[in-house]
Amino acid sequence: MIKITNLHKSYGSTVVLKGIDLEIAEGEVVAIIGPSGSGKSTFLRCINFLEEAQVGTIEIDGIKVDLENYTKKHVSDIRKKTGMVFQNYGLFKNKNALHNVSEPVRLTRNTSRQEAEQLAYKILANVGLQGKEHNYPVALSGGQQQRVGIARALALDPYVILFDEPTSSLDPELVEEVLNVMKSVINSKRTMIVVTHEMDFAQSVADRVVFMADGVIIEQGAPKDIFQNPQNERTQKFLRSYLHKSK
Amino acid sequence: MKFDFEYMLSLFPEIIKFLPIVLYIGTLSFLLAIVIGFVFSIIIKNKVKILYPILKVIISYSRGVPTLIQIFILYFGVPQIFPSFSSMNAITAVIIALSLRNGAYLSEVFRSAFLAVDKEQYEACLSVNMTKWQALRTVILPQVVRISIPPAGNYYIMIIKDTSLAFTIGVIDMMARAKLEAAVSYKFLEAYLMVGIIYWMISIVLSFLQSKLEHAVEKPYRKEELK
Repeated sequence: MIKITNLHKSYGSTVVLKGIDLEIAEGEVVAIIGPSGSGKSTFLRCINFLEEAQVGTIEIDGIKVDLENYTKKHVSDIRKKTGMVFQNYGLFKNKNALHNVSEPVRLTRNTSRQEAEQLAYKILANVGLQGKEHNYPVALSGGQQQRVGIARALALDPYVILFDEPTSSLDPELVEEVLNVMKSVINSKRTMIVVTHEMDFAQSVADRVVFMADGVIIEQGAPKDIFQNPQNERTQKFLRSYLHKSK
Repeated sequence: MKFDFEYMLSLFPEIIKFLPIVLYIGTLSFLLAIVIGFVFSIIIKNKVKILYPILKVIISYSRGVPTLIQIFILYFGVPQIFPSFSSMNAITAVIIALSLRNGAYLSEVFRSAFLAVDKEQYEACLSVNMTKWQALRTVILPQVVRISIPPAGNYYIMIIKDTSLAFTIGVIDMMARAKLEAAVSYKFLEAYLMVGIIYWMISIVLSFLQSKLEHAVEKPYRKEELK
């Protein structure tokens, strides 16, 4: 289980997150939607300590951290439980696809080089990148790079994978291949938190949709309820503008 | 017009004999400059207390005072205050002066190379639970090195050429040899042209090696060579 309580985050005097509470069951897929600047990406990055939140608690699979009092060990324990997929892929530019996936395993899981590479070959094949193992990021399309990013996260077998707008940098025709890989991850019952602008994706595959605005969770529920019968005015307005755009 | 071509050619073996000392001073200074530059860049990057303002003065001095004057200050001047330095030999003085001066310049090269590596590269390392040191070693530094090679290579060539100042404090190098020959024969043009051509050739060879090295480290970043 993932349990986040009362998460507050500010940059100097600018308050970005104003008390987020969120509970996620194992295997659940949660899509976070909301307007730009609502704090949804920041929230995601606070979960694995890429951003430091100042107040609140984070609990993932039995590891509980009080944000007002924690150590490096806590950060490392939480990061072991989390994988992340970045908007701009975040692949190591000096490493080929294979080593992007195998090196983190080798370095952080006490695995031999050979074992780590075997695992990487297998996982890259699972995301449809057989034959691309020795390509460097520059020689991969955006969709392929993002699939390597997902493979890298999967290789570490984390409790939860955090997706930070995984398709926002992609050309429309490449979005599909990444979403398909994400769907296959969902089928493997992995817990996922996905910050996304892909409303169709959120609607069709998420177990729950969370709508954030101005640093708070405005509304959350089953995709069907949020998209077809939003209760809050902010949510209605956001979804209306979104439907308008896609027409 | 008087130009003794044969005499000039005959100087080549005489002068080239001192190539090892030139390469020794130049290469050692360059390697030390890399270490100094790297340490400086880390101090600058982290704005380390006390050291940072001191460093800014050192860097400003190194960049602002001509190389020759720095060598003189170090070799003739410093022993006046610290007598223990009077045992320092001329070659050591040149190496210290050149490495400090170029270390100051290289610190800027490394600093900007660190800045040029995308922040997301570091975040990606942290997201897979690498330690700071693992991130630096496996992802950040290789990219910093790649970015630094072209400018650092230029500094190496500059240092090699600057070693020709060493003769002014009594180091017997290629320049000193050429000057001696010229003084004996009064054929200044031939002697200085010869030593100039040798330096020129060295820099051509080094530029060539540098471009080979650049080509090799750029490999992961080129599209066309990958299938």
